[in-house]
Amino acid sequence: MSRVFAQARSGLVYAGLSLAAFVSIFPFFWMLVGTTNTAPDIIKGKITFGSALFDNITNLFAQVDMVQVFWNSTFLAIVGTVLTLAISSLAGYAFEMFPSKTRERVFAVLLLTLSIPFAAIMVPLFVMMAKLTLINTFTAILLPSIASVFIIFYFRQATKAFPHELRDAAKIDGLKEWQIFLYIYLPVMRSTYAAAIIIVFMANWNNYLWPLIVLQTNENKTLTLVVSSLASSYYPDYGVVMVATVLATLPTIIVFFLLQRRFVEGLTGSVK
Amino acid sequence: MTGLKLRNVRKSYGAAEVIKGVDLDISPGEFVVFVGPSGCGKSTLLRMIAGLEEISGGDLFIGDNRMNDVDPAQRGIAMVFQSYALYPHMTVRENMGFALRFAKKPKDEIARAVNEAARILELGPLLDRRPKDLSGGQRQRVAIGRAIVRQPDVFLFDEPLSNLDAELRVHMRIEVARLHKELATTIIYVTHDQVEAMTLADKIVVMRAGVVEQVGAPLTLYDDPNNLFVAGFIGSPKMNFLAGVVEQDRVRLPEFGNQSIPLGHLANPPAQGSEVTVGIRPEAFKRGGAAGLELTIEIVEHLGNESFAYARQSGGQMLTLATEDGRGLQPGQRIEARFDPAHVMLFDTSGQRIR
Repeated sequence: MSRVFAQARSGLVYAGLSLAAFVSIFPFFWMLVGTTNTAPDIIKGKITFGSALFDNITNLFAQVDMVQVFWNSTFLAIVGTVLTLAISSLAGYAFEMFPSKTRERVFAVLLLTLSIPFAAIMVPLFVMMAKLTLINTFTAILLPSIASVFIIFYFRQATKAFPHELRDAAKIDGLKEWQIFLYIYLPVMRSTYAAAIIIVFMANWNNYLWPLIVLQTNENKTLTLVVSSLASSYYPDYGVVMVATVLATLPTIIVFFLLQRRFVEGLTGSVK
Repeated sequence: MTGLKLRNVRKSYGAAEVIKGVDLDISPGEFVVFVGPSGCGKSTLLRMIAGLEEISGGDLFIGDNRMNDVDPAQRGIAMVFQSYALYPHMTVRENMGFALRFAKKPKDEIARAVNEAARILELGPLLDRRPKDLSGGQRQRVAIGRAIVRQPDVFLFDEPLSNLDAELRVHMRIEVARLHKELATTIIYVTHDQVEAMTLADKIVVMRAGVVEQVGAPLTLYDDPNNLFVAGFIGSPKMNFLAGVVEQDRVRLPEFGNQSIPLGHLANPPAQGSEVTVGIRPEAFKRGGAAGLELTIEIVEHLGNESFAYARQSGGQMLTLATEDGRGLQPGQRIEARFDPAHVMLFDTSGQRIR
């Protein structure tokens, strides 16, 4: 009896998981199918592969300077990720390694800022950027994001697992603080960095609202803005939209699969 | 070889003073062990010598140079940590050679130094492994090897064997002693394990609450402690302490049915009627001693080579007796525990030794 019950239970579990997998994977499948179909077919709900892939790609490249757009997104995502990790991991390291009452208070205030929605600071931030004459520049995108409170918090928590005796050993071996950070902390915490790269890269790559406000000319537009404008045109060509969406999705998938193992280690706090 | 001098060395964290004026002379080539209970400041003092903690007051000399404000790497020291502190992303070879590589020494010199340390510690086959692939004992040997490679004037060991199991600890203890003999370098070694202190040290520094209680050779501390704390800390099992009152040339022991023991020969005997603490080591109880206490045995532990008997008189304080010929002892047995009065120590009410 109990065996039948166990089998039924595992059957239900598998059914649930299969449903979850279907819900997760089907949009990607539909996106891929969409790239090969014409807009009318897509609207009709066709979910088999068609023969319009080449036309859709040609149309996309005819409508948008994809090389420039891809370059813009890639530049912003990579430079933004590198700068965010450099600044925020240094801050997280410093908060943990040099504790003081004042720093704890500063840290508490920083954490409080996490509860302020972006919409609330959007207008003042825009005014600030305008006064700095940075509107329609990549600096306006990068500057507000490089000191990420969430990533500082994440690195501070991860640094708690970093053995402080390694720092002492490194000091005795003659390393200055920045060298300890560079030659000991960074390689030891590589899983933490990998997880942070994925989080920050995805956030930067998918960033929509702020670039929409700040980037005003076509040559500065990013992939998310282009996908959005293609989808919201009067007669959207969904085949073209799907090709652009695939292109927009690919880099995050590649980054995730490259760093997948370290991502899991980083989130589970493994320091070996 | 280099010695050290500490002059009124102090350490404070805000208003809390944790090292309260330490004066210490360490001769070149000496093996000095800092010992004391948890929180006594022994590791802090070692870290101050290493340069990992700032010195709040006083002077630290390594050789003839005042080192208070000198970088750790410039002090001529190397340190072995309790948790080994090996760089996990480097191989054993890279770990051992890291300091030299960082000091921009030539590659062949680094290789020679690493190979020599590996030879001394028999680490040859492990050189290309990473720390996670090593056992605890091997990691500790690598940590010692990393220290040797730097050819320091002074080795600092911070509870290096605490993370090892009992058998390995004995093995590594012998290794450390052998190493000291081979390298003949000054070693400062922190431990809370008094067996390590007794077996390794030329000189033991007993600390309590940031103060040096006594400095001396292991057997000097064992035979002639200055105070109750040192007498209780050095020696295993712990020394028995009995409350007593001086009456004429004897000490009456109220907790032992007012039995009394001879006062012994003292240069400065205590005043009549004064309260004292009598210290008798468990191993001081021997057949044929000139004095004795009547006791009833409650528990006996046979270790093979010796036996420990825990005995008292009618609900009073429990005494520990250690004897090599105690296999016949039984719980409930009444005995007269004999001892030599010359081995009895007296302490005044402030815990200081009466001599």
